[in-house]
Amino acid sequence: MILEAKNLTKFYGLRKAVDGLHLEIPQGSVYGFLGPNGSGKSTTIRMMTALISPDEGEVVIKGKSVNQFGNEALNGVGALIERADFHKHLSGRTNLEMLARMDGTNFDRIDYVLERTGLSQRGDDKVKTYSQGMKQRLGIAQALLSNPELLILDEPTNGLDPSGMKEVRDLIGELSAEGITIFVSSHLLDEVQKICTHAAIIHLGRLITSGEMDTLLKDSELFVTEIRVSDAAKTTELLSSLDWVFHCESSNGSVKVNMDKARISYAVKLLVESGVEVSAVIPRTSLEEVFLSKIGSGSPI
Amino acid sequence: MFGLIRNEMLVISGRWRSYIGFIGISVLMPLILWGFVYGSENIHQEYARELGESFMVVGSIINAFLATYIIMNALWIHIPFLVALAAGDAVAADGSNGIFRITLTRPVSRLKILTSKLIATYIYTALLLLFCALWSVGIGSLVLGTGDLIVIDKGILILSREEALVRMALSFAVAILVMFSVATLCFMFSAMVNNGIGPIIGAMLIIIIGYLVKAIPLDFFDRIEPFMIVSYFDVWLDAFRDPIPWSDIWNKLTILTLFSVSFYGIAVYVFLKKDITS
Repeated sequence: MILEAKNLTKFYGLRKAVDGLHLEIPQGSVYGFLGPNGSGKSTTIRMMTALISPDEGEVVIKGKSVNQFGNEALNGVGALIERADFHKHLSGRTNLEMLARMDGTNFDRIDYVLERTGLSQRGDDKVKTYSQGMKQRLGIAQALLSNPELLILDEPTNGLDPSGMKEVRDLIGELSAEGITIFVSSHLLDEVQKICTHAAIIHLGRLITSGEMDTLLKDSELFVTEIRVSDAAKTTELLSSLDWVFHCESSNGSVKVNMDKARISYAVKLLVESGVEVSAVIPRTSLEEVFLSKIGSGSPI
Repeated sequence: MFGLIRNEMLVISGRWRSYIGFIGISVLMPLILWGFVYGSENIHQEYARELGESFMVVGSIINAFLATYIIMNALWIHIPFLVALAAGDAVAADGSNGIFRITLTRPVSRLKILTSKLIATYIYTALLLLFCALWSVGIGSLVLGTGDLIVIDKGILILSREEALVRMALSFAVAILVMFSVATLCFMFSAMVNNGIGPIIGAMLIIIIGYLVKAIPLDFFDRIEPFMIVSYFDVWLDAFRDPIPWSDIWNKLTILTLFSVSFYGIAVYVFLKKDITS
């Protein structure tokens, strides 16, 4: 494991913001970190990056405890925590030079990270002239500056337009292919599902579930499936009347059903016996369904 | 460490607030010196009255050295404010601007980062005082010329032009060390909060209260005076005594250093424990 959170606990006054959290981030993974607003995501990430001290437990990065070694444990770690803020009166390049000077990074990396984040044309402009999206990209550039083995990104697509989001998603994919482990929190479940190999969900500071993405989707209690049938209207009418089918909607000859996973074969049998031809049953559980089944639909992500 | 200090100097030089002190001194000094040229009759008469019984005064006693000495006496309460303007932002600004989320997630110790900020604040303070000295003595020499420096404090001290220059350099060197303690006081407050105004107000409040305690002749205030940092601020005046009271200067500077070390110690404790939540 490149990063381990062991019994991580943090109080804000009497409120437990993070409650005995255990996480294990495998080397080379793209690890999604999900939770509703106020669930303790940012507090956890800040404890991982030595911005906040835990009240109990510890974060271990590459075998070094952050509690014990402080910022020294962050050697080989790049991080972007929430909004990317820089010295606005200085250029993007000067800001990166300052950061490179801090940890002895070769200045040659600056051109590379500016190029990589699409800022090479604007690197010499003052940060105050940047859009929010450009600042966010500069934030990713500074996280990549020291050629990290582990990249911790807290909401990296914040402030980016759809094409910017796609660029970041692609960049994460490329970096992952280069062997960099990426720990990313995001409120965009679809995005996490697309890019992550692993995921963890926390709620009220507690870990609800974690593991490989495929396993999470497969083991979800709230199973969503697409059934291709000869008569979609009849299928909808039949399945909607069952109390273990939570939701049912039809479109273009197929029906999307939200149901108890254990009853899928019974549903198919019922349809066949009712004269409906079933041509395919395709599992369509998304991370959103997993999330909502674990947390509840009332919680904003 | 040199790289970190260089970074901090870049940041200080980019803040408009850092230039207020320099602009203020640039405007104020010529104005005061112009006042000496056209309206120093009172000072002249006062000096003539003090010296008249023992000396025969020929020509003008007002020159660049005397003007600088008088200006330093008058501005001594205001210069800490100019120092505090930069020191207040030293740590707090990075907190309020969200810069710590970037800098404190790098493999560099918080102690190093904090120390580099303090050294940069000291460099700024020293530059401000040196600018004040050069501007005052430099412009004063052009406008008023140089000559003997006559100091009337505890008795009358007449210093030759060469000796006056040495004493002036010594007084500014000591003044820089005094202002380091002001900078450290403000720096300590800056490490505690996330806005640059609070530390300036906090530091100035302590200085103003200190001056009040010194000014009001009460027994109780006399007892607490040795524990007030401002009680040692006038050490720069010792450079104009004869003979120079090196022992007094050393003692006062040692006490000011102890104050600074204590302030820095508190700043380190607070900063190392500080949770970066903004």
